[in-house]
Amino acid sequence: MHSVLQGLWPGRGSRVRPPTSIGAQGAPRRDLPPSGGTYLKANEASQVSDRYMDIVSTNIDTMSTSNSTVIEAQGLYKSFEEIKAVQDLSFAIPAGKVLGLLGPNGAGKTTAVKMLTTLLPIDQGSASIAGFDVAERPEAVRRVIGLAGQSAAVDEKLTPRENLELFSWLYKIPRKERRARIEGLIDRFDMTEFADRPVAKCSGGQRRRLDVVAALVAQPQALFLDEPTTGLDPRSRSELWDAVQALAAEGTAILLTSQYLEEADRLSDHVIVLDKGREVAAGSPEALKKRMGQDVLEIHVSSEDDRSTAVGAVTESAVMTSVAGSQQLDINVEGGAAQSLQLLRRIDDAGVSIVDFQLRRPTLDDVFLALTGAPTSDSGVTPS
Amino acid sequence: MTGIAESDKAQLPTHQGTDLAGGLRGAVSDTMAMLWRDSVRTLRQPEMLVFAVVMGVFFLVLFNYVFGGSIGAGAQIDYLQFLVPGVLVITALQGAQQTSLGLAADLSEGVTDRFRSLPMSQVAVIAGRTLADAARNLAGLILVALVAFLMGYRFTSFLGAIAAIALATGVGFAFSWLGAAIAVKVRQPDMVGMLSMFWLFPLMLASTAFAPADSMPGWLQPFAKYQPISVASDAVRELANGSGVDSSLFLTLGWVVALLALFVPMSVALYRKVI
Repeated sequence: MHSVLQGLWPGRGSRVRPPTSIGAQGAPRRDLPPSGGTYLKANEASQVSDRYMDIVSTNIDTMSTSNSTVIEAQGLYKSFEEIKAVQDLSFAIPAGKVLGLLGPNGAGKTTAVKMLTTLLPIDQGSASIAGFDVAERPEAVRRVIGLAGQSAAVDEKLTPRENLELFSWLYKIPRKERRARIEGLIDRFDMTEFADRPVAKCSGGQRRRLDVVAALVAQPQALFLDEPTTGLDPRSRSELWDAVQALAAEGTAILLTSQYLEEADRLSDHVIVLDKGREVAAGSPEALKKRMGQDVLEIHVSSEDDRSTAVGAVTESAVMTSVAGSQQLDINVEGGAAQSLQLLRRIDDAGVSIVDFQLRRPTLDDVFLALTGAPTSDSGVTPS
Repeated sequence: MTGIAESDKAQLPTHQGTDLAGGLRGAVSDTMAMLWRDSVRTLRQPEMLVFAVVMGVFFLVLFNYVFGGSIGAGAQIDYLQFLVPGVLVITALQGAQQTSLGLAADLSEGVTDRFRSLPMSQVAVIAGRTLADAARNLAGLILVALVAFLMGYRFTSFLGAIAAIALATGVGFAFSWLGAAIAVKVRQPDMVGMLSMFWLFPLMLASTAFAPADSMPGWLQPFAKYQPISVASDAVRELANGSGVDSSLFLTLGWVVALLALFVPMSVALYRKVI
């Protein structure tokens, strides 16, 4: 199996205009530090599990010039009359990797997903899935993609089992195989409990799970999850995240859109931040956060008096945010744990009893708010 | 390495399906899948069927007991025998309106986008719907015919009854495609509901379904005689009452073919075009 797959992934072909690549083989983003080569290399695609063999094999002819990139977008543009929904969006997602498209409502995330999944014509630029051009071979593209989330729901009147039956029928999965495959999915994604209840009577979490599972019946190479956890409770969200990570681990290339920075942070190998249709930043979640600068040491004390004493104790050596009347100090630290310890010790020596403290990395929230020009959070992080 | 890949290539599944026969087989399979889906939905939502039957019975009762006396006396006919075939056609027409409403509601649901992202024949989304509605219509027509029987109506023969109900179902199917075209074009369910009044009521009331055309004013008679619901009512009446087949049957079949020839491609094209 290894040798067969390796035969399928020849070396990287030359490109006139390399798109942003998650993989180490891509050219680094102009506005980002190199991402350190921790990503998938071409031959690691042999980790792709057996279940991808069929689909992969059928694509040999058209794949001859591509590498492990499954989802590729180059300079996508889309306008709706006056509104420029997507402008110059480029990326490449290899097998087994997750790209997070992050942005507020109206940033162009869903439009991008719809263009890549053949639901919307592309105004300008090009896109391909598993080597098939989205504009020229929409039929072929539809065979290798799965779409779930905001822009693709399930049938509310049918039960989850019936929905899966319908979609596998429409994917032309032979009748004999359907049952086993559906039972396998129901089992794997822990849907037995609600498999025979009309979707309208399922909980939000159950519905979203079915949503994603319905996109998996044909074992897609490329999975598009459009805000898959919007409106979910934390437990259901975390379950869905586990499922997404498992799918990526099996070799599925995943494009995830989210308004939740935590979600993109947790799931994505690479994040593109969109605002008003434009890319405003791109990089690994770590790189993005690093770009936003220092860690923040957040200290809670028990009284206003203690607060001012503490401020006095560290005021020469640190930049801090502390609101008069509060019982909290946020100190920017560059030296990580060592410097934090030093600062804490100094406050302690001044006779202040520290109730609580934490060393906080800037969150993607900080990054996001800074980049999209929305009001910054009170963590003291400023736009770069 | 390459050698193994080559030998593997020989066993590729050939589901590329670009040839016409394969495409057609795919479209039939997709339509069957959608028919199954829409039928399950219909069975889970029996209100639609109940509504269709209640409307049919409502027309039977209203026209027979309220207007029947005067219309029947004026035209010197057995009004119930005249009315029931007309009501069968009207019931089928109501079913077509429900195609329009149902499809519009369906299209506003997120599942439609998933259908559009699937490697399936997109015609199947509409064809499955119109076929499922035809099946529901058939059930509704049989129930209305049973109520008519209880009210004293008699088909002249069993075969005539089957032919009459089949023809009414066919007319309803053709109008379902008109309804589908409107739904695909307009999309918003409430808008579709309003628009359907515009084609439904003139066709329904300015027709020979409830009263003979002779009693209508001269300017209305050409429309009232040859519009599809009138010729269909006449043809169903002939089949049901065994009064011999005349040109109205052929006119009806002509209308059915014309409606299908116009609205099948139109609704498919409109469906494909929509974002």
